[in-house]
Amino acid sequence: MSSNTSVTRVLVSSVGEAQRVPVHLMPCEIEHNGPAQVSQYLTATTKDCKLEKTVSFRGRGLKGQELSCPNGYTGLVLKEINKSGSDQEDRTVKVSSVFDKLTYWNLETPPNSDDTVVMAMDWPELAEAIHGPVED
Amino acid sequence: MATKKKRTPNVQNDSWVVMAADSVIDTQKHDSDPAFVRLRNPATDAASLYMLSSGDVQLFEVKAFEEDFHSWFVGQTVQRDGRLLFVTPMDPLYLIIPYLIKSGKECKFQPMDQVLMDEEFPACSRLLSCTGSLASLHHIAEEKEVEKLKFHRYSQEKTMNWLKKKVERTVIVLKARNISVGEGVKSTTYIRVKSESDYHEEDYLRHAHGMISEYLSEELSKALLKHLQLPELTSPKVTEPPSKKRKLSELPVEAGEDYTKFNSSDFARKPPKKMTAAQKSLAKVDKSGMKSMSSFFSPKVKAEKN
Repeated sequence: MSSNTSVTRVLVSSVGEAQRVPVHLMPCEIEHNGPAQVSQYLTATTKDCKLEKTVSFRGRGLKGQELSCPNGYTGLVLKEINKSGSDQEDRTVKVSSVFDKLTYWNLETPPNSDDTVVMAMDWPELAEAIHGPVED
Repeated sequence: MATKKKRTPNVQNDSWVVMAADSVIDTQKHDSDPAFVRLRNPATDAASLYMLSSGDVQLFEVKAFEEDFHSWFVGQTVQRDGRLLFVTPMDPLYLIIPYLIKSGKECKFQPMDQVLMDEEFPACSRLLSCTGSLASLHHIAEEKEVEKLKFHRYSQEKTMNWLKKKVERTVIVLKARNISVGEGVKSTTYIRVKSESDYHEEDYLRHAHGMISEYLSEELSKALLKHLQLPELTSPKVTEPPSKKRKLSELPVEAGEDYTKFNSSDFARKPPKKMTAAQKSLAKVDKSGMKSMSSFFSPKVKAEKN
């Protein structure tokens, strides 16, 4: 199993050129990777209320909320460059976009603190408790 | 519901949405780039994905948060893979312990560079470069110095004391964040406490023990339970020890599931099996998180008002 020896390098210098983009977590699987007219069909029709955003997406009512990245964390979109066909070779990804907040959307349910992605934002703090250095 | 439609495997995925600790992209001191590497997962003994920073100074854990039927819009593009990968700093000692235990069977003090050798995972020797690795070995091993050379031998007693402190630290955060613990709550999930003082100290200890056990062999996990003076649960309600419970959405990116896929087709999702998509997702759903999840799958259910 030599595949365990290959690594995936992250080109950190690419952060400088990475664009800050709006990021949405959609409550449906879209079987596509590639361009889409997000601002025209989603952002433009989004209603912004005090605590939640609403939008009609493909006839479904979505309710959403903006979440900030946890303190000390940055959102990155990593993209593979020079994709090689082989399992064995080292690979390289670059930072193609960055974000400091994301919008997540629920189907019908108002966003609340038990939503998985909201809970996920607690992970860094728990991880710090589990992994931070202990005193002697 | 459009459950009959078969999902095609996501083979051409070449991008990932990541929540990364700022130290990952610290451009101040990069003579080399950080890299995702495969190392032996101490709980499963199989490969999992981790990250080593520039110069191997810091180890990071890579955890995927995943809910079924999610995708991303990133700028003006669609990304089908709806996972959010968390890259958080990790204590390298968790990964070093199994190697120390293995080499300690001969009861000899050994130099660490001989302890951390693994043909299958050659990157494991890089763990010694992590800040604090060498300096904190005394938490899990006895040390001996001979002519400026250091030798180590695994100490179960020290390790238990060290792990207990880890559990205590975790309890503090669980309380501070109002994270729900106790019976029926899976150790690696967390939902918020509905009313305060619903839970007892033991629930917090068990929950924290479960979270720490994600980084321990079953044997060590049991020993830690004993050290915390918590009896093993035998009630029929709890058929597995907390440490064995996992929530799918929170599985680390690990071998059996992902690593071959990660190589050949990235983080590609497995194509759905014979169950319908709805059955599959329901089977996966962690019951304690049902409230918010169920609304995704049965839109007719009235959403609870907050």
